[in-house]
Amino acid sequence: MNTSLNLDKDHLTACISCGLCLPHCPTYQVTQDESRSPRGRISLMRGVENGLMPLSKEVVESMDTCVQCLGCETACPSGVQYGELIAQTREVLSDHRKVSFRLRVGLWILLHMRVLLVGSRVLAVLQRLRLVPTKALPVPSRIPLRGGRYVEHDDPEVILFTGCVMDVWLSQVHEAALSVLDSIGIRYMISGNQSGCCGALHSHAGFRSTAKNQALQVISALPTDLPILVDSAGCGAVLKEYGSLLGTQEAKFFSSRVYDIHEWLINDSKWQESLPPRRLGSRKVIVQDPCHLRHVQKAHGSVRELLTPFVDCLELDDEGLCCGAGGAFSVDQPELAKEIRDEKLKSIQRAGGHLVVSANPGCMIHLESAGVEILHPIQVVAEYIGGRDDHE
Amino acid sequence: MNRSRQGDQLFRELCRDIGADRVHRDGASQLLYSRDGSAFPGGIPGVVCFPETTQHVVDCIKAANRHDRSFVPRGAGTGLAGGAVPCDAPLVISTTKMNSILEVNYEKRFAWVEPGVVNLDLTKSLTGTGFHFAPDPSSQQSCTIGGNVANNSGGPHCLAYGVTNAHILAIEVVLPDGTLVELGDVDGHASGYDLRGVFVGGEGTLGIATRIAVKLTPDPPEICTLLLDFMDVADAAKTVSAIIASGIVPAAIEMMDKRIVNVVEEFVKVGYPTDAAAVLIIEVDGLPKGVKIEVERIQSISLEHGARSVRVASSDEEREQIWKGRKSAFGAVAQIQPGYYLHDTVIPRTKLVEVLEAVYEIANRYELIVMNVFHAGDGNLHPLLVFDPQVPGIMERVLAAGEEIVQVSLDAGGVLSGEHGIGLEKKRFMEKLFSEEDLAAQKLLKDAFDPDGRANPFKVLPSGASCGEVNHLNQLPDGAWV
Amino acid sequence: MGMNDLEDFRESVGESGPVAVVGGRTHWTVGGNPTDDTRLVSAPVGIDSFDPSEMTVSVKAGTTLKDLNEELSRYRQEVCLEGSSETTVGGALMIGTDGIRRNLIGSVRETLLQAEYVDAKGKLIKAGGPTVKNVTGYDLCRLLVGSLGTLGLVGRVILRTRPQSEKSVWLQGGLQPEEARHVCFQPSSLLWNGKETFIQLEGYGIDVDSEVLKLKNLGYEEMGTKCPISIPRFRHKFVNGMCLDGGIVDVYSSILYKSTEAAEPQHSNEVVRLGNKVRTMFDPSGRLNPGRDPYRAGP
Repeated sequence: MNTSLNLDKDHLTACISCGLCLPHCPTYQVTQDESRSPRGRISLMRGVENGLMPLSKEVVESMDTCVQCLGCETACPSGVQYGELIAQTREVLSDHRKVSFRLRVGLWILLHMRVLLVGSRVLAVLQRLRLVPTKALPVPSRIPLRGGRYVEHDDPEVILFTGCVMDVWLSQVHEAALSVLDSIGIRYMISGNQSGCCGALHSHAGFRSTAKNQALQVISALPTDLPILVDSAGCGAVLKEYGSLLGTQEAKFFSSRVYDIHEWLINDSKWQESLPPRRLGSRKVIVQDPCHLRHVQKAHGSVRELLTPFVDCLELDDEGLCCGAGGAFSVDQPELAKEIRDEKLKSIQRAGGHLVVSANPGCMIHLESAGVEILHPIQVVAEYIGGRDDHE
Repeated sequence: MNRSRQGDQLFRELCRDIGADRVHRDGASQLLYSRDGSAFPGGIPGVVCFPETTQHVVDCIKAANRHDRSFVPRGAGTGLAGGAVPCDAPLVISTTKMNSILEVNYEKRFAWVEPGVVNLDLTKSLTGTGFHFAPDPSSQQSCTIGGNVANNSGGPHCLAYGVTNAHILAIEVVLPDGTLVELGDVDGHASGYDLRGVFVGGEGTLGIATRIAVKLTPDPPEICTLLLDFMDVADAAKTVSAIIASGIVPAAIEMMDKRIVNVVEEFVKVGYPTDAAAVLIIEVDGLPKGVKIEVERIQSISLEHGARSVRVASSDEEREQIWKGRKSAFGAVAQIQPGYYLHDTVIPRTKLVEVLEAVYEIANRYELIVMNVFHAGDGNLHPLLVFDPQVPGIMERVLAAGEEIVQVSLDAGGVLSGEHGIGLEKKRFMEKLFSEEDLAAQKLLKDAFDPDGRANPFKVLPSGASCGEVNHLNQLPDGAWV
Repeated sequence: MGMNDLEDFRESVGESGPVAVVGGRTHWTVGGNPTDDTRLVSAPVGIDSFDPSEMTVSVKAGTTLKDLNEELSRYRQEVCLEGSSETTVGGALMIGTDGIRRNLIGSVRETLLQAEYVDAKGKLIKAGGPTVKNVTGYDLCRLLVGSLGTLGLVGRVILRTRPQSEKSVWLQGGLQPEEARHVCFQPSSLLWNGKETFIQLEGYGIDVDSEVLKLKNLGYEEMGTKCPISIPRFRHKFVNGMCLDGGIVDVYSSILYKSTEAAEPQHSNEVVRLGNKVRTMFDPSGRLNPGRDPYRAGP
């Protein structure tokens, strides 16, 4: 099969193959194989573009096994735009390759909120009846029986983006986020079902046109000029990218209003005024950075800043290596995702094995299913400022 | 039997001997394992093997011998001289999956590691024990210890601590005939010929290391890192010569010129002075009072020689960031141009000023951009010629300028390579430094280890057949593929 | 002048017949005596050039360590070569053993930067290079150090020098080696006679003084600048638990110095086979130092 990937030539030539990305690539770390590395993937892209390589099974596998954590972009001293390259490549490949049935079904469900809702309720009941093993599916071990119940204000100052699966599976995180807003008197509304899924996972998997449709849907569902707060790093990253994805003024304006909730809070004057004069607790918490927060939004510092008045933040020693969740990656490449996670588990152990916080539902679910005690950072904050204790 | 059927047989035997999942020969693997970190366009690998044990390596080499094939050992592929570029469809033996730290002995200060262990991973694993592994090439976060052994790698801190060879005590080697032998011993006193010492730096042409005993170096009680800036490159160079001449051997003295400072500052944002003509990073370590004395002397020497300011890193974090900038320098040059070519000649430290001047003059004359970032303390230059490979005729200019830089270095009493090795890239210059007889003597060593010439052929020595098309750099390098 | 010396040396070595270089005869029997028919020649003598600011010295192999060190110490520098004052530079390199200060000053093997030697065919060969850092080609200098002159006869070398320490002092006290090795940062020597340990400290006076204080608080006594015990001449490999039998242990390098000769060291067959292959390659007719065998020399 011969085809062009239509890649940007400047992006492609910018890589000089120095190899400094290798230790920051989770798939290279567990395979030690060039075809599972950013440098290798770029070389293969060049090979295909230059007609030296057909789009062989091995090339497709190499691209498919990329988590798209973009740890390599952070590590690259020359600023190679790997994210652009792999996204474009995956889009071309999505026309050619066979996407696994599991992944297709999963992605379809995300676009159909009612199916997701009903399916999840059924699953939640089955879980409680112990009819499905806890770790068999990439879902939280205890899906809530009911959806999030949120009281919105009439005259909102901000919008909390609630998304799709998170609203159904991890509604306690949204509730914690809202309780934090409540505590400092911020009026809010939620994006709710009419905006639905942000399309991050579809974009990730190479279905860029579906992602564009979702972007249009989300933008039209939220026509205000209010700040949009996001407590899912993956959703936040793609919402911030709508501007470049669609290229319209409207989309760019929308993206400029998007904030990761931690990022927004630490810059908010009401929050700053309400801060306690000294640390409230001495609890140790390990901060695990979602890649979409650290490498894409580069807003991971705000999580620490937000938590520091309350807990003792511990760092992992893996310099922000991915945990293997990677949006739909853990569904599409379960073996590799597990191996990558094993490395993360070791790192958590080395850090003392305390409670882990991670600001992304994918990472939370992926790590929790390996037995890690994990919360969203906003849940920890909510506990300390007198909101409800959402931790079961 | 024709070559490809022979290849099929070899492939089947390898699959049988070390397991099919450890043997790759698809087009993608062949493309990826056809080059390293250098500007060389790829060679052609035959089969790529991923051994996980010493026995696997023995099996690979024996299979290669049965089929009269050569083999090329490969670590992380960060080498800069084409040392891991496969010529003539050899077995590529990647040791990256042999990456366990096998034993750490703090009392006797050594550790046995497998060759695929990443340099920085070893040092990280020693954090808190009071020891580290001293060689710290700039690629240390990616490069493997096996690769360090093959290239006798250097790094900033080799000024005071010595290059890799001083830190390797013993090596388990699979010789090119498949024999397993342990060279050296962990006490560092093995009698007999120092075969361990010559194996280090053998660029994979003498066999494959499968276990390596490295020396653990005690962490210094005090470290002080200085960032000095100059408005004139010559002042910085004079400062380096003056410090060495004063009898101080700092742990490291690194120089970066303005262009390099600007690209690394863009990446690390640590506050390098971007308007300076050159900066020096100087690190002093040891017992606290001696460190203080040396820091003061260095400050006064540098101010006498025209330093504009001297900044002392005030925290470990600041120190790390300063070093991160230095160690990212090569990787950062693509901010300017997508291709680079460099030499790593070493010159007497008293000749820094004149040779640097000559380097800038050569680059100007060829209308090329040169970026200087190097180990100034031991006179190990790294003039990076950066260019866009798609510009017609540029390779000729780059190569001609490179050759002149080599000549200027040798004329000043220097040598071809301080740490990157000869590989494919520099063998054409070997005759500039050695007579035919000198080279014949070196060949005797190679022949004793590898009489059939199977281990990483066409590397290091200029004699012998050329390596297909990759023998010279007149082709466009990889960046020009698109 | 220098070139002529080397040329004369080359001619005296000649192209055939068993030959060995005689220096100070301070280590003459190491690895065996040359056969009776061996012609003895002398290496040229003299320091060719010493550039203190480059920290390298070019010296001919027949120069004694005493003469070399005298010149170097005028600029407060030294070389890492071991032997008595009559030992020649070439002799010290060909024996190749490290002294008790290795922990601080490194190994002889790192000292030799460039060597000009006469090979078995009587040709003058250059190995290595003049700079302090060099990976150009195979490192034949490494091979020459400790080779007992069996691969080539060295006429002139370039050596790395190092600054002399500002202060050096020996202490004697009761800590056992396991404890003593952790007290100070990088002592230059640590010896043990089975009862007491002897520690040599070097560095800036002000640092040495504070380290001395640390040791004095542990009951150590200052013994001056000279090693307070005499070190016997034969080197044995030391293994924990071994009887010292009146010997002295160099703790950092596990060498036991005794007055009785060591048993022949054990080497694996593969190593000896490879080493002998190297020797045959360099000297097919076996004319260089016949009767000597590096594999029979002690550690």
